[in-house]
Amino acid sequence: MKMTRRQFLASLGGASLIFAIDILAENRTGSSSFGPVPLEREPECIADYTDTDYTNWIVFDPGENVRVFTGRTELGQGLKTVITAVVTQGLEIEPEQLTIIQGDTDQCPDDGPTIGSAACRVVGWGFWHACLKIQNYLVNSTSTKFGIASDSLEFKSGKIKIKGDDKTFLNYSEISTGEAVVIRVNPDSTVSTKQYIDKKILNVNGIDIVTGALKYVNDLKIPGMLYAGFKTPPYHKSITLLETINDEKTKEIEGIKAVEGIGGRVVIIGERYSDVTKGLSLVEAEWRTPTRAKELNIEEELRASSHLQEVKEDEGDVETALKSSAVVLSETYYTQYITHAAIETDTSLAAYDNNSGKWNVWASTQWPHKQRSQIATELKTNETNIRVIAQPAGGAFGGKIGNTVNSEAAAISNFAKAPIKLIYSRKDQFQLRSHFKAAVVIDITSGVDSNGKMIARKIDSYDDLAEGSTFVYDIPNVLTRAFKGNIPYHRAVVRGTSYVQTCFAIESHVDMMANRIGLDPFEFRRINVQYPAFVNLIDSVAENIEYSDNNKGQEGNEGIGIAMVKHGGAQLGVISAKVRVDRVTGQIEVKKICAAFDVGIVVNEPTAVVGIRGGIIMGIGYVLREKIDMDGWGTYTEYLGEYGIPRFSDVPPIIDIKFHDNLQPGGTVRGLGEMPVVPTIGSIANAICDAIGVRFYSTPITPEDIKKALGTDIENLNF
Amino acid sequence: MSDKKSMILNVNGNNHQIFADMNEPLLWVLRDDLGLTGTKFGCGKGECGACSILIDGDVQRSCRFPVAYAAAGQEIITIEGLGTAGNLSELQKSFIKHSAFCCGFCTPGMLITATGLLKTNPYPSRDDIILAMNNNLCRCGSYSNIIEAIEFVVKEY
Repeated sequence: MKMTRRQFLASLGGASLIFAIDILAENRTGSSSFGPVPLEREPECIADYTDTDYTNWIVFDPGENVRVFTGRTELGQGLKTVITAVVTQGLEIEPEQLTIIQGDTDQCPDDGPTIGSAACRVVGWGFWHACLKIQNYLVNSTSTKFGIASDSLEFKSGKIKIKGDDKTFLNYSEISTGEAVVIRVNPDSTVSTKQYIDKKILNVNGIDIVTGALKYVNDLKIPGMLYAGFKTPPYHKSITLLETINDEKTKEIEGIKAVEGIGGRVVIIGERYSDVTKGLSLVEAEWRTPTRAKELNIEEELRASSHLQEVKEDEGDVETALKSSAVVLSETYYTQYITHAAIETDTSLAAYDNNSGKWNVWASTQWPHKQRSQIATELKTNETNIRVIAQPAGGAFGGKIGNTVNSEAAAISNFAKAPIKLIYSRKDQFQLRSHFKAAVVIDITSGVDSNGKMIARKIDSYDDLAEGSTFVYDIPNVLTRAFKGNIPYHRAVVRGTSYVQTCFAIESHVDMMANRIGLDPFEFRRINVQYPAFVNLIDSVAENIEYSDNNKGQEGNEGIGIAMVKHGGAQLGVISAKVRVDRVTGQIEVKKICAAFDVGIVVNEPTAVVGIRGGIIMGIGYVLREKIDMDGWGTYTEYLGEYGIPRFSDVPPIIDIKFHDNLQPGGTVRGLGEMPVVPTIGSIANAICDAIGVRFYSTPITPEDIKKALGTDIENLNF
Repeated sequence: MSDKKSMILNVNGNNHQIFADMNEPLLWVLRDDLGLTGTKFGCGKGECGACSILIDGDVQRSCRFPVAYAAAGQEIITIEGLGTAGNLSELQKSFIKHSAFCCGFCTPGMLITATGLLKTNPYPSRDDIILAMNNNLCRCGSYSNIIEAIEFVVKEY
């Protein structure tokens, strides 16, 4: 449901100057699944307002204050900080004059989900383009209205004045004609370098974060509120049914208000969260034993159940080219199930408001409007009866787009006739979810000619989309197919999406090809890249990692690896890793990461750098640690420690990040939230192989795998 | 089965009378009864460190700490007691200066743990910092920046 002109203007009052920002939606989300809005409209005009689907709003209120509206939310990627940097510099106002209204479905239009490394690129940079146009509009309107030459006008701190005359001025809002002005921008169009913003700002939530004042959903409290929690079932929800609940033992707990089966789950509602958790440990329930097999051989199930979902690339004649290749190599790579594991567990606060006759749901979400729709479906009511208010999220990573906690909280609140705060336990977070970053089986075959040029490649990826296969390497004959599996676990969007699995396979395989043809992996890549920009990035990381012919170190157990990616629109990334492998304990120490990125303009470096480092550290988790323990019946991972998200001790002592802007033409913003995760994985896998001469075909690569491969595991030790 | 009792908690320098189950985790008493929501729930198992508080100067996991054990006059310090917006501690300032967070959810626990570390070891090495902080988890992976923020305080003060 889009917000109509009438609704929106009514909510703003009369005398404001209102800009409806139409950020052209091509590549809006970096993901094809949300559908582009047609580009048929003229992108460069300022037109009169008509009712349509505007993505964002900038409002100059009477006085000197500015409000901006976006449906996208605060997850940790720093959108609010980026918007503040952009709008204060773009409109020449002070931060105190700016209010950012984010993620409230009653106030903000639906400008898409906060995903795909696109919040800064689309919304942040879209606002920058909009601000440049608003500057023009203000000057031209003032010039026309008062007959003053436009080049004698300037504006600052919300005021327009005549140069050299500080006493005569108008507030921005006084240019208002009473009609909203539409500004159409394409965030991917270029701006000239002199228009770049240059002031870097620190996280605008900083003080609230360090004092504990920032309010996440769990920090909210409303009168009459009760807590709710689930008893985690032993089987996955899709393959079982709740049969009986025995609440005999919970009756003695006085704070418990209800024990009930709701939506196929055992729910306990209590006055305090500790009442709920105590009750959950005592309540008994039985679920129907699943009929499917408990054993889960992921490779067998995927190959048996997969159907062709998409042919990603089909060029030339792969089979013929393979026959004429000097070297052909066929391999299979495997990746594990991975989960988001945000430190904030799924939490929602839902309450029916008798005065407004509406449901208010305070959510930790990447897409409030989608949550509104899910809640409306759950409550069998119209979306207009639901207001979703996004609070800052305690991490999301793709896990808070279509998750069910908000509709579950609303359903429980509807049952209890009381405001409900539903909190997932950590165990729930691992075991109630059936969506994970997919475990993937990737068959990959390549052919190289005698000059070391890759001439053919074939990829079959089972149960993911094989993103990231294109663009990096120049291969004339390619066939890349993505197959969809039919197993009880579903693909989730988890930071890096299927680039993670695909690039682990491709980059490992490329190193193996280089080895077969007798070329250095850095040199082999220089020969085979599709765009010269990559050669610059390879040279950059080679220099910073101190690449040499002998990377083995004094003890002979060190290695250097490299991997590359082209992510999303046009984010190019090359990472080189240096690792040390302890042959006895199997421990893998990442000593150094050198990254070279071409992501266009870096809008706000402080928030960008911490995000990139975080992405690299998450990549270390994916390749060395993380794994969901599961079988055909359920998920058994219960603790953060056993799942293995990275810790302080996993952080490389040196993470060197170099931005190489303008290797590609044009001043654009291309996003960077997910891309760094991807080449981290391949570079570490390749560095391990360089260190000990063993190729690992599946992730995570653990100390046990190392010991097994080197024959230093316990079975092989001779006491 | 209720074991409710009236107790006095000394939190951030103030005494509070509370009426709670003696075994209730301190976390929920702080959050729900005293409104100190800066201390976060992340796992309930003492694994993630988001609920870290100081009790008589020692870093403790409030999600596993029965409230009665903290009600014998111990000094409890939560994130709200480290410094306020107008009067931030050096660590708090340094965390902001070094962008030592993304989503900020683990930050209170990180600051409490770092404060506890600097009380017992004012000049920790990088390895000391990693060892002391290693059971505080940050999924955004802001670890490098957190180390830099702590090292800055060690160097400057």
